[in-house]
Amino acid sequence: MSLLALRDLGKRFGGVNALTDVSFAVDQGDVLGIIGPNGAGKTTLLNCISGLYTPDTGDIRWEAASIRGLAPYRIARLGIGRTFQIVRPFPSMTVRENTAMGALFGRPGARLQPGAALKEADTVLDVVGLGEKRNYPVLRLTVPDRKRLEVARGLAMRPRLLLLDEVMAGLNQVEVELALEMVRRVRDSGVTIVLIEHVMKVIVGVCSRALVLNFGRTLVEGPPADVLKDPRVIEAYLGQRYARDQEPPPYPPPQAGEGNEK
Amino acid sequence: MRRATVAIATVGLAYMILAPLTSIDAAQQAGLPLLTDKVWFRIATTVAMFVVLASAWNIVGGLTGYASFGNIAFFGLGAYTVGVLVGIRNWPFGLALLIAPLVAALFALMVGVPLLRLRGHYFAVATLGVGVATGEVVNNLGPLGASTGLYLPIVRSDLLFFYLMLVAAALAVLTTWVILRTRFGYGLLAIRENEEAAAVIGVNTNFYKVAAFCIAAALSGIAGGIFAQWNSFINQELVFAVSDNVQMILMAVIGGAGTVLGPVAGAVVLELIIQTLAGGGSGSVYSQIGLGVLLAVCVIFIPRGVIDFFGGRSRLSLRYLRETLRETSA
Amino acid sequence: MSQFIQQVILGLLLGGVYVAVALGFSLVWGILNIVNLAHGALVIVGAYITWLLFTRWHIDPFITLPVDALALFVIGYALQRGVINRLIRAPLLFTFLLTFGINLVIVSLLLLIFTGDFRSVTPSYSGSGLELGSVTIPYIRVAGLTVALVLAGILWAILNRTRTGAAILAVGADRDAAQLVGVDLRHMYALTFAIGAAFAGVAGGIITTFQSIAPTAGDPYTLQAFAVVILGGLGRVSATVVGGLAFGLIEVLGQSAPGLSSGYANAIAFVVLVVVLVVRPRGLLGRLA
Repeated sequence: MSLLALRDLGKRFGGVNALTDVSFAVDQGDVLGIIGPNGAGKTTLLNCISGLYTPDTGDIRWEAASIRGLAPYRIARLGIGRTFQIVRPFPSMTVRENTAMGALFGRPGARLQPGAALKEADTVLDVVGLGEKRNYPVLRLTVPDRKRLEVARGLAMRPRLLLLDEVMAGLNQVEVELALEMVRRVRDSGVTIVLIEHVMKVIVGVCSRALVLNFGRTLVEGPPADVLKDPRVIEAYLGQRYARDQEPPPYPPPQAGEGNEK
Repeated sequence: MRRATVAIATVGLAYMILAPLTSIDAAQQAGLPLLTDKVWFRIATTVAMFVVLASAWNIVGGLTGYASFGNIAFFGLGAYTVGVLVGIRNWPFGLALLIAPLVAALFALMVGVPLLRLRGHYFAVATLGVGVATGEVVNNLGPLGASTGLYLPIVRSDLLFFYLMLVAAALAVLTTWVILRTRFGYGLLAIRENEEAAAVIGVNTNFYKVAAFCIAAALSGIAGGIFAQWNSFINQELVFAVSDNVQMILMAVIGGAGTVLGPVAGAVVLELIIQTLAGGGSGSVYSQIGLGVLLAVCVIFIPRGVIDFFGGRSRLSLRYLRETLRETSA
Repeated sequence: MSQFIQQVILGLLLGGVYVAVALGFSLVWGILNIVNLAHGALVIVGAYITWLLFTRWHIDPFITLPVDALALFVIGYALQRGVINRLIRAPLLFTFLLTFGINLVIVSLLLLIFTGDFRSVTPSYSGSGLELGSVTIPYIRVAGLTVALVLAGILWAILNRTRTGAAILAVGADRDAAQLVGVDLRHMYALTFAIGAAFAGVAGGIITTFQSIAPTAGDPYTLQAFAVVILGGLGRVSATVVGGLAFGLIEVLGQSAPGLSSGYANAIAFVVLVVVLVVRPRGLLGRLA
């Protein structure tokens, strides 16, 4: 039985169909990468799963039970955590306190007290690499660190599924490598991950499967290497010229030998 | 600066608690100097009352970030609960005072659930509407005395009401302090800082907001109930005054919204200024002008409140003012 | 039945007043994101100016309207440029408190100058009206509605047919982008507020023709202006017109309902407000988001 299953999910805003007939499943231990051009509906998808939006059609199931229409806090407590594309920290709290908030409110079953939550935060901060900055006020953090904090707060919830929304956006090459390491550590600790990304290196670097969204519909699904070579995907991103005329796309497809290695 | 402030505050507090005792007959007979008089009691009780109101507002506006302009409705309902129970139905005051916060909290529950779904401007004016409309409805209800108001049997004891209000103030401050130490408090802060993020990490935002609203209402209701018996007379103008609502907000803000002692500092400082400006009558036109100008100056120049200075974080200087202005000006 | 028709007509005529009052309020809110709690006070200042001109020099109230507009324009410009501009980037609560403070000061100054006595303006034609069968349509109210609609037209023209209006709309849409194309923000803010105040002043002049005024008479209009904007929707002149007329209808029909009297004006405004916010937050004609 899948951990998370979406079936024929649809969401409209006024006259715009943000999502149409989206279906896929995520199994325990998967790392699913969701890619697609801007406006494809990727963040809308995450918002539906985490409860900020209610889908108009279709269903979302968490271990066979429907979570469609549940309030966000309930979904969080079931073990689903998420980060935001534009980070949303709590500005008046320190890094440690921000992280502890996840432990304080997001644990399925357990009702932690502030003291215990802060201790939990310390452990998590080491995983994401913010251990030394634990007492910094949030406003002192750089952008990459704020993204780590966002992930830390999610991890502190001890989620079974973590939804990452463009964690790599705005990072340079070196920072992407470090962040990729962090995502691998999260994966190895047993957390199932669904991540939205534009940085293809991440998709081939850590994902077990990839899903392409275009205009709110699923286009292709499969192993990352295959998906990225699929002409339909190339057409969606780059236009017909590259797909049809077989001109080599600007982005080099993954060579043999690259893949899910450390 | 900090140690001096703590020292002054402790002395001040001791004075507030002990000085009234000199007015008891026994103390007078023992030859103690009389440290208080009618005016002292009136001002001190009013200050204590605003400490309750400002602290209560702070829970919803300062901690949770939902600036309510209608909290005065809870004060008024508390006052009218006591007014009706004691003035019309002859219940004992003590019992009525226990019911007052319950009535206020229940009302907060009723209006809070729909209203707390609104944000920013909409929430502020919707609550303003609650405050105004509740007063208006009460003013039109015959059984509640309508526009003539309600009279209560007179109880002459400055001492009693001062201490009652002081206990209410202590309760309000203590409540805030406790909240900020618990999970509930962190949840409120999270809602203030980023409500969507709070929701996805597991904070039941609707429940928390309504709970904060009800707590604030209960505290305000107690203050209203005490006021009703203290003043022996209530009507719409006295207990549903929107300017009082603004006053409590101003006190919390210039004292330091979101802190435990900010509202206390703000209430003390502002009420003393108002009393000085009024020169005896709190409704005088000059005091209103003074209040308006003070309001403008405070929100423009010290938006984070004076508690910023006492915490040692900033110093009141030209540079501070200039930086504050730069942050918020066009 | 004719009673009902009379009510509807009165409601629309009253709605005209609300349109006039709400136009300036809606402009300032839509463009500057300022809910001006002193709006009612500005209206009353305009009313007093009209009253002065009528009482001292016997000038017909409708002729004084341009004077109201000009005076309030100047006051509004100074107010925004000198005071409110200092808080334009601060959290909403502070502009709220600031405009409330300004309201206090203005009302208190009016109390000092004019005392709390009620003043009225009674031009010679105030009692008469058009008789259509058993229905009476007071001339004064019709004139008020006409002025209000003309005002709406003027505002629409300013916003949509002039360069200044385009600049104002730009500031409302994206202040940074507006700055980048050369708009002087401080001046535009002040200008927008001044126009809003001018409209408030004219509304004040209209008000004198059918009610007596006192310094505190402006406060209810602020809450009602808010309700009108919520009801009609933010963002378009037509929305404010529809909101104002609808609100006038609701108030007249509501007050004629059994059990309610005119003392419930604010309560009715509030109920309308909350119902709309809960059921259809964008209002009758407002844009989504």
